Amino acid sequence: MSVPQTVGVRPARKRRAFSVARWLRTFGTLIGFLIIVAIFWQQRPTTFMTVTNWLNITQQVSILGVVAFTMTVVMVVGDFDLSVGTMASLVGIIAGTLFQNEQPVAVAVVAGLLAGALGGLINGFLVSYVGISAFVTTLGTMTIFGGLALYISGGTTIFGRVIPEAFGNFGREGLVLGSITIPNLTLLALAVLVLTWFILEQTVFGRRLYAIGGNREASRLAGVRVRFLRLLAFVVSGLGAAAAGLMLASRLASANPKQGDGLMLNAIAAVFLGMTMSEEGEPHVLGTLVGVLILGVLANGLTQLNIDSYIQQILTGGIIILAVTLSSLSRRGQ
Amino acid sequence: MSRLFRLLLVMALLVTGFALPVSAQDDAPVVAVLTPYLAQPGTQFMVEAFQAAAEAKGWTVNVIDTAGDVAALNSRLQDVVTQGVDAIVINVDPQQVPALADAVAAGIPVFGMDAGSVPELVVNVTSNGYAMAAETATYVVDRLNGVGRVVMFIFPPYPPVQKRGVIAEAIFNNTPDIEIIDQVVPDVTDGGIADSRARMEAILAANPEPGSINAVWAAWDQPALGALQAIEAAGRQDEGIIIVGIDANPQAVEAIAQGGNFEASVAQDFEGIGSTTADLVERYLNGETLTQTTVYVPTTLVTRENARVE
Repeated sequence: MSVPQTVGVRPARKRRAFSVARWLRTFGTLIGFLIIVAIFWQQRPTTFMTVTNWLNITQQVSILGVVAFTMTVVMVVGDFDLSVGTMASLVGIIAGTLFQNEQPVAVAVVAGLLAGALGGLINGFLVSYVGISAFVTTLGTMTIFGGLALYISGGTTIFGRVIPEAFGNFGREGLVLGSITIPNLTLLALAVLVLTWFILEQTVFGRRLYAIGGNREASRLAGVRVRFLRLLAFVVSGLGAAAAGLMLASRLASANPKQGDGLMLNAIAAVFLGMTMSEEGEPHVLGTLVGVLILGVLANGLTQLNIDSYIQQILTGGIIILAVTLSSLSRRGQ
Repeated sequence: MSRLFRLLLVMALLVTGFALPVSAQDDAPVVAVLTPYLAQPGTQFMVEAFQAAAEAKGWTVNVIDTAGDVAALNSRLQDVVTQGVDAIVINVDPQQVPALADAVAAGIPVFGMDAGSVPELVVNVTSNGYAMAAETATYVVDRLNGVGRVVMFIFPPYPPVQKRGVIAEAIFNNTPDIEIIDQVVPDVTDGGIADSRARMEAILAANPEPGSINAVWAAWDQPALGALQAIEAAGRQDEGIIIVGIDANPQAVEAIAQGGNFEASVAQDFEGIGSTTADLVERYLNGETLTQTTVYVPTTLVTRENARVE
């Protein structure tokens, strides 16, 4: 650990033995999540709390999860990436176009991931080295990636026989363990989760990212290569978006130039929900996981309860605001 | 905010969670309707007509709109399969819904409402693209008494529109004194009107003699509107050039009602598609075997006589 203690300057707080506020702040969101689960369980006793349904939920949130986990890395540094949704769409189109030209799955996957890394490099370079704000940069690249997806595809959806069967089947199949099947997409998301957790929480690289997010100037003075690390964080989110785009194309066995666009806002919401669970209000990938699960469980449960889809949206937004409000109120109570 | 208040808030949330009554789960069939396109007027008419018919039959209908998100539609389809609904209705290209396999595996019937035909669907209810094209092409032939020069606007890249062009061409070719002077494939990236207008202007310039163009047949309304603009801009609206389109979109209906060159279009019966789907779901749930995998709901030719501006 080369980061000195001055980083993340924060007056030492007196530790209290037990405080409802502290407890609420850290566990409030988790409790909220458990209450939501309890309500759905009680309302749909036979169908909600089943292995099949939970495996479905993990598969349904797997793509959002990959985007949100890697978005966490960028948000740890104090930036964010608005371009992940259209990047996911673009990568799906790149893969689909390669399939149309009879390229094998491996080529499409590698090309897709490379495109994601390249997009991340561009974002990172503009933010970190040129010094444009992350908001403006990624707003611009978001529009560019979306435009490229539409341009390459001519606005149409690529589907049908041109998509290799193996590619389409991957998103539907899974690891068979006796009577249950763990979806491939779930396993992939789990792998990204573990990898991101390890990088952020267990490596010097990760510690330095948190240091930059805590106090960029102090980190720089302490000898952390702030600019390079910020750039790398964007490469991670670009790669995550590309992986998500490939997963999405596989799950739908098709590529539509707009199919990933909606991922961005949900991913940011998931990271914010997760941030309410951290003592310092920092993003942590396990918190993001809870955020992703809250969004996924809400969509699943409310659908099973026959709740109107517009009301679902209103409820979901309300719950996000409620969680963040509770967390910030309890912090102010200190 | 006092600590006590916060505690009370948490308690209140917990209590609400467990005190909610279990919502009604009676024996009436539950039908889920899934679409990413509820914001589009045609879809809205279909879904509302389906809901009205279904509620008259005493069903519980759950309409799920995923606002353009086809991945979310797959997820919600899985959810209603888990929930164990009695039937599912989709309004989306079924080729993009691999989750249909889950419904089939669970033995839940899925119906297409203007969706597309795949083996996983019990039946798809839609309009007949061939028949719509035949209606407007025969309208042109009849109005010209079988004699005249026709410009066609077609669009082969999009299969539902390609079908229309094939039929119209066959009908014109089967009429000895009808001559197709041009088949235009307009650039549709601008919505289809502007480029069609430019292409029609060029054709008008190439055929300056009054009466050298007798009709414009368009495979959908936008090129017809573009052609209308070109004819009016060239001051040739009094030569009796007949324009026909398909879809009867509001702008087209307005043009037809005004009584100019744009004379006819074809309206799909979206309400009919919705209520027919409901009837077919009912027949299936009553144990009837449906042999027809695609059911076409008749369309209506819109002319000055029945064009209503809404």
